[in-house]
Amino acid sequence: MTFSHECIVCIVNTGFSDAVMDAAREFGARGGTVIHGRGTASREAERFFGISITPDKELVLILVPHDLTDQILHALYRAVGLKTPGQGIAFSLPVDQVVGLSTLTFDGDGTGKPTDGSLPEPTEKD
Amino acid sequence: MNEQEKRRRSDRPVKKKKSGTLTAPKKLKLLFTVVDRKKAEFFSDLIGQFKVNLQILLPGEGTAKTETLRLLGLDDAARAVIVSVIRDDLAQSIFETLEEKFDTVRGGKGIAWSVPLSGAVGVAIYQFLSDYREGQIEPARKNERGTNV
Repeated sequence: MTFSHECIVCIVNTGFSDAVMDAAREFGARGGTVIHGRGTASREAERFFGISITPDKELVLILVPHDLTDQILHALYRAVGLKTPGQGIAFSLPVDQVVGLSTLTFDGDGTGKPTDGSLPEPTEKD
Repeated sequence: MNEQEKRRRSDRPVKKKKSGTLTAPKKLKLLFTVVDRKKAEFFSDLIGQFKVNLQILLPGEGTAKTETLRLLGLDDAARAVIVSVIRDDLAQSIFETLEEKFDTVRGGKGIAWSVPLSGAVGVAIYQFLSDYREGQIEPARKNERGTNV
């Protein structure tokens, strides 16, 4: 079963949500929402692998068309993957219904339109 | 069965069937609604009208694209993410209501999407999430001829 959109969830160290959005925008994502959280990692595993996990995390939710998902996930892996300072993991969830895509102000300019001058992508409603 | 037994059974009052049908368990979905933080309570109440028993309200931020606006503090990035567990059969009504409110409420622009839930552990948990009440029978739906389906 394929869905028209997918929700990419990317969990990164605090301060790396901009890097996440920059990488995602390169491949066509229009905007996202950041939620602050706290990670819980196994102390024993941290000691075993010799790494330290920053507990403060940012969780970025990005809603993207299905055909862009793979490219964006790869971009996130390269930009903020586990081997980078962002220490991020990203995965996607299937979205079976969505409303409000054409009205949401992703870019903060109050218009709900992309700021790069391009036309908004046609939606099912259009 | 002897004659006496047959007579006794036929004398019993016939129980009337309840007007309703037993239905299969409802599928569940996880609904994400991202709205301006000032409108979070409004949308949470709105979704709550659709037999939604569990909602989590998370403070979030939008990802402003224009750096200048951000530096000037002109972008109001404060958002709220409302995570709700909804019933599949009510999803369409919820989406229609949300879409209407996104378009008509001042400052109520937002986005909502749903993700299918594949499992939940515990009967009580499922009954709570789907708002299934013991002994509750769904009202019968009628077809064009007016008979129960």
